[in-house]
Amino acid sequence: MSRRIRSADGERAASPPIPLRFGEDAVLWAAWLYYKEGLTQNEIAREMQISRPTVNAYLADARESGIVEISIAGDRMRSLSIAHQLSHHFGLDDCLVMPGASGERSLIDRLGDAGAQALVWHLRPGAGVGIGWGRTMLALANALPDDLDLADMRVVQATGGTTARIPYTPEACATRLAERLQARCIPISAPAILSSAQSRDLLLQEPVIAEQMAELGRLDIALFGASSLRQNSTVHSSGFFDNSLQRHQAYGSAVAALVGRFIDAHGEPLDGPLEPRTIGISLPDLKKVPTRILVAGGFDKVSAILATLRGGYATVLVTDAETAAGILNAEGIEPAPNRSQRRMASQGLDLSRAGKDVGTVKKFLNAPRDAVRESLEGALAAFPGHLRMLEGSVHSLAASRGTQDGKVGLVIGGGAGHEPCFLGYVGRGLADAVAVGNVFSAPPPDRILRCTRAANGGAGVLYIYGNYTGDVMNFDMAAEMASAEGIEVRTVLTTDDVASSPASDRDGRRGTAGNVFVFKIAGAACERRLPLAECERLARKANAACHTMGIALDPCSMPETRRPSFALPSGDIEIGVGIHGERGVERDGMMSADGMVDIVMDRLMEDSALKGGDTVAMLVNSLGATPTMELMILARRAAQRLAARDVKLHLSWVGHYCTSLDMTGASLSLLKLDQELTDLLEHSCDGFALRMP
Amino acid sequence: MSKLPTNGGGAIVRAIADVIVENRAYLSEVDGKIGDGDHGNNMAKGFARAKERISDDASLGEAMHIVADVLMGEIGGSMGPLYGMFFDDMASAADNREYLDKQAVGDMLEAGCQGVMAIGEAKPGDKTLLDTLVPAIEAFRACDQDLHEALKALKHGAEKGRDATTDMVAKVGRSSRLGERSRGVPDAGATSCCMILTAFADGAARRLV
Repeated sequence: MSRRIRSADGERAASPPIPLRFGEDAVLWAAWLYYKEGLTQNEIAREMQISRPTVNAYLADARESGIVEISIAGDRMRSLSIAHQLSHHFGLDDCLVMPGASGERSLIDRLGDAGAQALVWHLRPGAGVGIGWGRTMLALANALPDDLDLADMRVVQATGGTTARIPYTPEACATRLAERLQARCIPISAPAILSSAQSRDLLLQEPVIAEQMAELGRLDIALFGASSLRQNSTVHSSGFFDNSLQRHQAYGSAVAALVGRFIDAHGEPLDGPLEPRTIGISLPDLKKVPTRILVAGGFDKVSAILATLRGGYATVLVTDAETAAGILNAEGIEPAPNRSQRRMASQGLDLSRAGKDVGTVKKFLNAPRDAVRESLEGALAAFPGHLRMLEGSVHSLAASRGTQDGKVGLVIGGGAGHEPCFLGYVGRGLADAVAVGNVFSAPPPDRILRCTRAANGGAGVLYIYGNYTGDVMNFDMAAEMASAEGIEVRTVLTTDDVASSPASDRDGRRGTAGNVFVFKIAGAACERRLPLAECERLARKANAACHTMGIALDPCSMPETRRPSFALPSGDIEIGVGIHGERGVERDGMMSADGMVDIVMDRLMEDSALKGGDTVAMLVNSLGATPTMELMILARRAAQRLAARDVKLHLSWVGHYCTSLDMTGASLSLLKLDQELTDLLEHSCDGFALRMP
Repeated sequence: MSKLPTNGGGAIVRAIADVIVENRAYLSEVDGKIGDGDHGNNMAKGFARAKERISDDASLGEAMHIVADVLMGEIGGSMGPLYGMFFDDMASAADNREYLDKQAVGDMLEAGCQGVMAIGEAKPGDKTLLDTLVPAIEAFRACDQDLHEALKALKHGAEKGRDATTDMVAKVGRSSRLGERSRGVPDAGATSCCMILTAFADGAARRLV
């Protein structure tokens, strides 16, 4: 008897039998493959012969219906490599990193849970526990089980109190913790901040307060958070410190507040005017507590936590994976990949490989900030037959042959980092001038205007560039200025990237490698002395016929940071990347070259509605680091796919045409040809990156 | 304490520049989550250059015109024109005035905001700097106390606006290509805008007469 998967999307007929042990339950099967056998969603899709979205939906069902219960025990969590890296780097006794979760629960609540877990781990009967204040501290107290049954516990409020109307005052945090631990609560019967140093000193002489303060010297465990000094932080929003902070220059370098005291980025205590007015555990006394548990997380707290760790105030850190990765990044350490951790953890495997410290990516640079200018100077020196500088600006380059009277001028441009785009496509039969911006950043209008003037032979100027907000704004401003000078400007935006927007929003797509086809065709149209409106029409036609999609295997790194632009686990790829080092539209597991080409070709052929008998030109483009050998492996499969649909491949370009610095990856572009486009595509041209006889 | 002298407003603009330069790495880090990670670098480059050309005794309008020129003329990208127009239109609103009362400060901010909207295509809710700017100005206008309090309201409105961008999905700009993947991270432009407005409010509050 064969068993079939029941799925909502009509895949029944194609689906293979479910192994008997899963009964009729495809969701259970999918969950088993994912969580127990460790298959990727793609592999599962193949195994079950269903689509990837269906796999994804099954896995979500499995979690929702309780087939999969994700439970992570503290000892495993601690063993996660990211925690290991943090412990190792900062010399912590212990580090608890919560996996990045997407659930409903707030970060504060999850931190509270994990903090409670860490506290329970370290608690012994008779312990004295000091607690700071804040949302996380209160969440921690609330998250403690109330059946710990440890004898003779003491909870000490670590700072004086406040009348601020917040639920997480020092009093509230200490009281709640004491309730949960069934401990004796020792408050500090004084405000945290006094109006003057004198009143503080007087208060400290009071026997009750002196006794309470003495308890702070006998702590076994200190629980505290780190408040960032960013504007939304507890320090500000609680009203705890009034506005004193902003008023005092002494706190200008403060990046974190711990138990009401301020430290700078190196963890050095700041001796400001609040210091002699503060009642609570001092930072030197805090450091004497044997176990000091810092519970803090959130993107805005990275620098605060980092400063706290650098200062050695914590022996135990409890945080979340995102923040932990941010801390490591800020210290220049590459965090271990996230996804495999999650998978491993859920499979109960111990993954405690130490992270490798990576330095910066090696690049051929002098001063990084000079990279763009020096590369342009190099292009001028290398290709004097193609390029010349305009009005002393290397960022505005024109064809060496000079302005062509009576010809429509073609101006292209965009950010640097895409070389040989865009300057390699300046010359006879191509563009007349190119404006270059900073790395991945549109050129400002005056550079474009300079190019416009140089390109203007009296027949108007055509702008062609990729559809990006910044480029549109700057080119539009230049067009306005040019028209004020009496130069007629038309604009065509390239929108070839299919991944960036659905076909219904063609105009919203971004321009990527396919713009080389558009430059070529428009350049030929201009060279043939066609009028401006006709050149514009042909450029639009070429763009409409052009479709591109890219895949990244590894991110690129900017000259100024020389660090990867995003983190990509070793087994993952980004599908649908653009040309600015950004992430793709979705992430998938590594697969064969043919598999990747198939994903891309499916999209490209669908979007360009290719059918038997059609003719195309193809561009297999490296995003920077991918070698030509691999590009040809991609070209091979792409050609097979075209042949299988009986599409004629009229011409192929394979190589570095439009890159994203040193990104490892490639894009495929198809240009659907008719006779008109074919003629223009074959027209002779001479740019340093594109020459045709 | 109810009006802002424009004379010596250069100091306010220099303080804004300092904040941006100091937060260069942070802004790039925020941007790196869903953008190309160069927001901090580009902004810092522009503001550092502008600061070199502004003296403390420059008027508010002069100083803002200089910032606008540098951002628009030398920085490019999308932030160059957007912040360029922001400062240019604010500068024009402050020109030829000795003092700015609460109404005039509001009008100046409003002019900057209109400049941003005129050049960009974004609306509030698109996860851009407008999501800081618009609610901040609304909070400023809604404050029925003096200019000093209204400046505080401006800051709080800006913070709230910036924080709200975390839950938004980007609708314009490069990060919009990421769709749902852009959720969960604050917008870099909204973050820098909050820094600018906060530094402005703090700087202005200190100079009120």
